[in-house]
Amino acid sequence: MMYDLVIVGAGPAGMTSAIYSARQKLKTLIISKDFGGQMAQKAVEIENYPGFEKITGFDLISKMENQVKNVDVVREKVIEVKKENDIFFLKTEGDKVFQSKVVIIATGAEPRRLNVLGEVNYLGRGVSYCSTCDGPLFKNKEVAIIGGGDAGFETAIFMKNYASKIYILEQEESVKASIDNQKKASGIEVITSARLKEIKGDNFVNQIVFELSGKEKTLDVKGVFIQAGYVPETSFPGDLVELNEKKEIIVNFETFETKTKGLFAVGDVNCGKVKQIVVACGQGATAVIHGYKYI
Amino acid sequence: MPRIRLFTTPICPYCFSLKRFLEEKGIEVEEIDVTKNEVAMEEMINATQQTTVPVLDIDGEFIVGFDREKICKILKIEN
Repeated sequence: MMYDLVIVGAGPAGMTSAIYSARQKLKTLIISKDFGGQMAQKAVEIENYPGFEKITGFDLISKMENQVKNVDVVREKVIEVKKENDIFFLKTEGDKVFQSKVVIIATGAEPRRLNVLGEVNYLGRGVSYCSTCDGPLFKNKEVAIIGGGDAGFETAIFMKNYASKIYILEQEESVKASIDNQKKASGIEVITSARLKEIKGDNFVNQIVFELSGKEKTLDVKGVFIQAGYVPETSFPGDLVELNEKKEIIVNFETFETKTKGLFAVGDVNCGKVKQIVVACGQGATAVIHGYKYI
Repeated sequence: MPRIRLFTTPICPYCFSLKRFLEEKGIEVEEIDVTKNEVAMEEMINATQQTTVPVLDIDGEFIVGFDREKICKILKIEN
């Protein structure tokens, strides 16, 4: 089926693109397996989105969803995009093909895997990337959070509601989380210069092994929440886009167009340095306005 | 109609999405917030051997995560 504008991804950048595209009366399609992106998984409430003093990520994305109820949605993953004669062809993992004059990539980023022993084996059996989902299952248990950035500290603050003991392991010499988040993390044991080496257990996780100042240490924990940053989801556009060293899509920052005419990239998937919800929304709106002009 | 139970935690986004999906399809489910029901939490973890939600129990068949394709297949509904 032929569309004016197809959006791949349904986080805040993708949803804003859909709102603007629908308002321009463009025939619009969203292709995304999930709605909400990283925002839906935030462990703490959002306090810096205009119009809301406090709102959960899930509630905010639900409100955005309500604004795009008339837009077509396909709940699949895009695996390939090609361009022939000014028309884009998007193929999904379900082998469906959609055509469009303009494509906006808003696939965001996925949690970074650490590639340590036991990480894959114990996924869902103590290892989790989603504390808002699985955190409550670790009531009165000891847990470790891997990563001392804001996401790690926010996870730790959330886990104070449940866990009996919380460790944060940061591989650098100091943590990168904001002072505000560090203040809220009282009672949490932060271990810096700690490099996770292995996650061990039987049926479920019961221990982590890490290196501290050249010595191997262990902690007995039942849960391991990995918050080691994100990697952009740029597996499908192939040579239609140019990537930087972080595998982020390089765009023109006036239009958010990639090196290919009619192909835009917005939100955390592009090379923008400021990864914020409100910034992603602004990029989505900007790209649609330029996409409309392109058509 | 099969007996369907949905095991959730309070602010799990995938749980919300799955619940809404089932509602939209007109499927009646018994939602169990496992943070308020430790017996159900134990049952869920024992049955799945996993510590993650959402979990859907369709007449004794446990499905971990929002596995849309599998759920539609078992319930014989359109994806």
